[in-house]
Amino acid sequence: MAERSFAQEVLKLRAGDGDVFRGEGILAITKALLQSGVSYVGGYQGSPISHLMDVLNDAREILAELGVHFEANGSEATAAAMLSASVNYPLRGAVTWKSTVGTNVASDALSNLASSGVTGGAMVIVGEDYGEGSSIMQERTYAFAMKAQMWLLDPRPNLPSIVDMVEKGFGLSEASNTPIFYMMRIRGCHVTGEFVARDNVAPGFSNRNPVQPRREPEKIILPPHVYAQEREKISQRLPAALAYIKEHKLNEVFPGRHQQIGIIVQGGVYNTVIRALQRQGLADPFGNTEIPLYVMNVAYPLVPDELVEFCRDREQVLVLEEGQPEYVEQGIHTVLRRANVDTRVRGKDIMPQAGEYTGQVTLEGITRFLEQAAPAVPLALSSVDVEALRNPLSEDDQQALLVNVPPRPSGLCTGCPERPLFSAIKQVQKELGPFHISSDIGCHSFATLAPFNLGNTIMGYGLSLASSSGIRHSLPHKSISIMGDGGFWHNGLTSGVSSAVFNKHDGVLVIVDNGYSAATGGQDIPSMVEPNQIIATTLDAASASRTDAQSIEAACRGAGVKWLRTVSTYSIDAMMDTLREALTTSAPGLKVIVAEGECMLNRQRRIKPLMKQAINSGKRTVRARFMVDSDTCTGDHACIRISGCPSLTIKPNPDPLRRDPVSYVDNSCVGCGVCGSNAHAAILCPSFSRVDLIYNPGRVDRIAARVRGAVIGWLQARTARRQQETAL
Amino acid sequence: MTNTSGTINMILAALGGEGGGVLTNWVIDVADREGWLCQSTSLAGVAQRTGATIYYLELFPRDRLQGGAMPVMSLFPAQGDIDIAIASEIAEAGRMVQRGFVTPERTTLIASDHRVYGITEKEHLADGIVDATVLQSVAGQYARNYIHYDMLALANEHGTVISSVLLGALAGAGVLPFAKDSYRAVISATGKAVASNLAAFEAGYERASSDGVEQFQPPPAPEADTAGFRLPAATTAEGQTLLQRLQGFPESCHEILYLGLQKLVDYQDYAYAHQYLDELESLLAPGAGSDEQTLVRECGRYLALWMCYEDIPRVAQLKTRPDRVEKIRSEVRAEPGQLFAVTEFFRPRVEEMCALLPVRLGRWVQASPACRRFLGWFTGGKRLRTNTVTVFLLLRGLAGLRRWRRWTLGYSHEHALIQSWLQAVRSTAGSDQALALELVECGRLVKGYGDTRARTTAQMQAILAHAATGSASAAGIAALREAALADDEGRAFAQAMAA
Repeated sequence: MAERSFAQEVLKLRAGDGDVFRGEGILAITKALLQSGVSYVGGYQGSPISHLMDVLNDAREILAELGVHFEANGSEATAAAMLSASVNYPLRGAVTWKSTVGTNVASDALSNLASSGVTGGAMVIVGEDYGEGSSIMQERTYAFAMKAQMWLLDPRPNLPSIVDMVEKGFGLSEASNTPIFYMMRIRGCHVTGEFVARDNVAPGFSNRNPVQPRREPEKIILPPHVYAQEREKISQRLPAALAYIKEHKLNEVFPGRHQQIGIIVQGGVYNTVIRALQRQGLADPFGNTEIPLYVMNVAYPLVPDELVEFCRDREQVLVLEEGQPEYVEQGIHTVLRRANVDTRVRGKDIMPQAGEYTGQVTLEGITRFLEQAAPAVPLALSSVDVEALRNPLSEDDQQALLVNVPPRPSGLCTGCPERPLFSAIKQVQKELGPFHISSDIGCHSFATLAPFNLGNTIMGYGLSLASSSGIRHSLPHKSISIMGDGGFWHNGLTSGVSSAVFNKHDGVLVIVDNGYSAATGGQDIPSMVEPNQIIATTLDAASASRTDAQSIEAACRGAGVKWLRTVSTYSIDAMMDTLREALTTSAPGLKVIVAEGECMLNRQRRIKPLMKQAINSGKRTVRARFMVDSDTCTGDHACIRISGCPSLTIKPNPDPLRRDPVSYVDNSCVGCGVCGSNAHAAILCPSFSRVDLIYNPGRVDRIAARVRGAVIGWLQARTARRQQETAL
Repeated sequence: MTNTSGTINMILAALGGEGGGVLTNWVIDVADREGWLCQSTSLAGVAQRTGATIYYLELFPRDRLQGGAMPVMSLFPAQGDIDIAIASEIAEAGRMVQRGFVTPERTTLIASDHRVYGITEKEHLADGIVDATVLQSVAGQYARNYIHYDMLALANEHGTVISSVLLGALAGAGVLPFAKDSYRAVISATGKAVASNLAAFEAGYERASSDGVEQFQPPPAPEADTAGFRLPAATTAEGQTLLQRLQGFPESCHEILYLGLQKLVDYQDYAYAHQYLDELESLLAPGAGSDEQTLVRECGRYLALWMCYEDIPRVAQLKTRPDRVEKIRSEVRAEPGQLFAVTEFFRPRVEEMCALLPVRLGRWVQASPACRRFLGWFTGGKRLRTNTVTVFLLLRGLAGLRRWRRWTLGYSHEHALIQSWLQAVRSTAGSDQALALELVECGRLVKGYGDTRARTTAQMQAILAHAATGSASAAGIAALREAALADDEGRAFAQAMAA
């Protein structure tokens, strides 16, 4: 059950010939896959293509109607290996993941796939997470496409182009027996628009019409075939691809009247270039441009004939290639020199080497280029004007904002089960630390930020335990690795746990088990967390939503782990005791703590409707939430420093004598109880109270309330009288 | 307000859970009804995990379409190319200005005045809140129009989220060429919480359109603390005596000292309040100038707070207040008459228990491992249901112990410290006003419970010891105080002390 439901939107996938399809880029791609007659789809979630997985998941019914097979793969490597279905048979298939991290994970299978070659179209839709708003290290997929020889599509970011390029991409893949990367940038994934749909096409082969098993030994990656495959890549597949690209006009030329210059741009950056030209008065709203453009919707391979033709009669061209190194620019140089074309190629000499080509960066670059290459072309904005736009603020105002705009680093959600875990680790660190912690990918990565500041390295998804193996003999304490359940199943069980057991790793592994791949949007994973009653609410789903869970504990035991404890993260005291024991025990071997607590976002999504229903139907229901007593709070905010819960905030001190704001629990509190447990575990203060709100009280509730009200009320009335008598 | 691209460009920053996505979809639907194309994209922050989410929209009128050609719109907000900037919160508006998305020639800025505090503001050991008026005045300078009011308050008033008020503000600002009815129709079409969303939309619309364009006016500088404060008349004879003594203090001190007296009488008794005035009178030089007055006033503030240190009886007293139930009701937003149970989380330590014993006995118990072990049995985390009669009686009993407070170990400990603080202030007040004031200001450090209290008290003692050497300067003490508030492990403070 993912964070965002596309249940309504996927109905649009049934659109047929001539219907206008409106929606997000991600949904358009799914529709294009169905229009292309894919036989199977799969992938692994991660921004910005998490939603593609969610859409596919929510579209299972429609996929099944067509006979399209879907798998939520265990990792990107699994997804890449799935494409082997297209090696021997004319089955079209597509998988998706976040790049470059997912591409790295998938690389073994991808390289072999690219060597074997494909019969049916095979497409990897990569969410290229490069630039501002990215959540990973900054690399591009381009290098992988070049070294493994996979074609890389980078379509213009409008829905008709996106859809068209999926369909043509399959054609290109089949014509050249080569798997394809189809690249979507973050903003392109989320862009909204419309296109005219076509009917979905049922795949030629599926469970309704199985293939006839067939062996093609020359496609297996063993000698001597591998060497033949390498030669075939150059002698047959590349020429076939170039022919297809030219014939079907995958790349586009937009002519313009200033023919002495031109701009060469990857499709994904086209809109930004047009906007820069519009702002310079050199293009109209519809993209009719005065500067000629060569738009490479196929970013790799370069098409020498097209490049030579575009550049031959121009004095200078500007290559706009986001990121580094500048492979495209280098490739164009090679093409032009070989053809003895002496057009000057500008690129990274006037553009930034690193980083995204944002609106401002592109405008600056194009302006610089035009001023130097075509001084006669009138510009609406000079490069001085353009640079002034970058920062319109006076120095004083800049400084004022620097001081007064607070950063908003990522943090754990309200009620997150990982918060109490890190509160516990932080408190144990006070006794036994300081700690060196190997962290991992997932929501728990945020523990490396304020207010927890726990964690030293992040080496990859499921790799925390592996990454502590080199440092463990040099640490003053047993090594500590923190891994999510997502990472555990993705990679951590094999490269972490079994390797550690095999090497008699004496460290501690904390597996954060929240039941979902939470950081990517709450997708299901093999294991799940049984609903529990620890959190203070009477209502909980009595049974789990799935019956097919695979157990982390059993997997660890199977891999040879002897010391294993499962602790609810919300029991901070128990967690601290367990951590202490794990860090100090003389028991040999890996110590695994499964820190269990269901992802609160998912839990709330599950419980809120149930609770509403219960209240409306008159059933006695208790909803817990916390509060801070502002009379006893002294405004030190220690509670915030060991929690960082979004619902735990501050407000002006109601006591006019005090100057520091008091802590305050806002209405978004879900009553997870961590504040109270922390108040106990860290011996904070007596300001935290849990309030159990009772809906539809029963007779017992009402009688008890009446009796208590009478007694306590009478006593309080006396107090109030005495207060008056002893006032000023 | 169109530009060469023919589009209207709009950027929207919202925090998780504020309905930025909903607002974006509303705008797309309004545009559609009005015959405009709208392209939107976002840098999605998922749920609460990633700060602010930025949405970016471009709008283009369908009646300007030529043949089948579609306009080419940008997916990037660009500096100097934004017509409308919407921020759900004032610091996010500041961030937009900081990033250059708000320009005086073009941008209408719509931003709510309320604050959602960032973690650096929240985790501060004292008061880390940024200055929102600075944000507003800078925003007002760089926006072409600046439409701002507390939109969250308006949303709360109508029991809905801020997105509907923001939509109202956008419509009321008149920056989009769309009819109000289209906005209303779009809200109605969602079929969810229509009535409250429409009401909030209307209210947002009214505020934005009736006030016209609000140019930011900095609030008038706060008057001196005394302005507007009139000493209330006494309600008891004993109170009358105290207030008469208070009249002897300069007027600028009246409010703070009055509040102090109130607190002390409530905390202990009239005698305790007299004790308070005795201490302050010893600081008061005849014909005190404004600096001296400030010294007395601020000393009065922190002395009152310190004398009302939070021991077990005090906490029990506060937890059994007559008005507490209604306070809780409004704090947790319970419905009128709704039943609720309240569970307090206490964890007294041996130290707090000993603090309640008579001085010598308390010291002896504290020093005796056997006694500590015995008391240790009672120190675990306690969850007490204060709405039950037994717990209420127990707490009331504990609150009653305050009668014996003067003879307790805790009292002697706190008052010894208070005396050394006051002594330091008195001894410097004559020679170095600024230093004395800084020492007074150190009273702000003394707060918290358990380990926090121990840390802050120790830091206070270290500062006083430093002052006693005679080499302390006002700036030095201020720096030490800042260092004490820099982290809660005392690292910065230790460094500052060593320097």
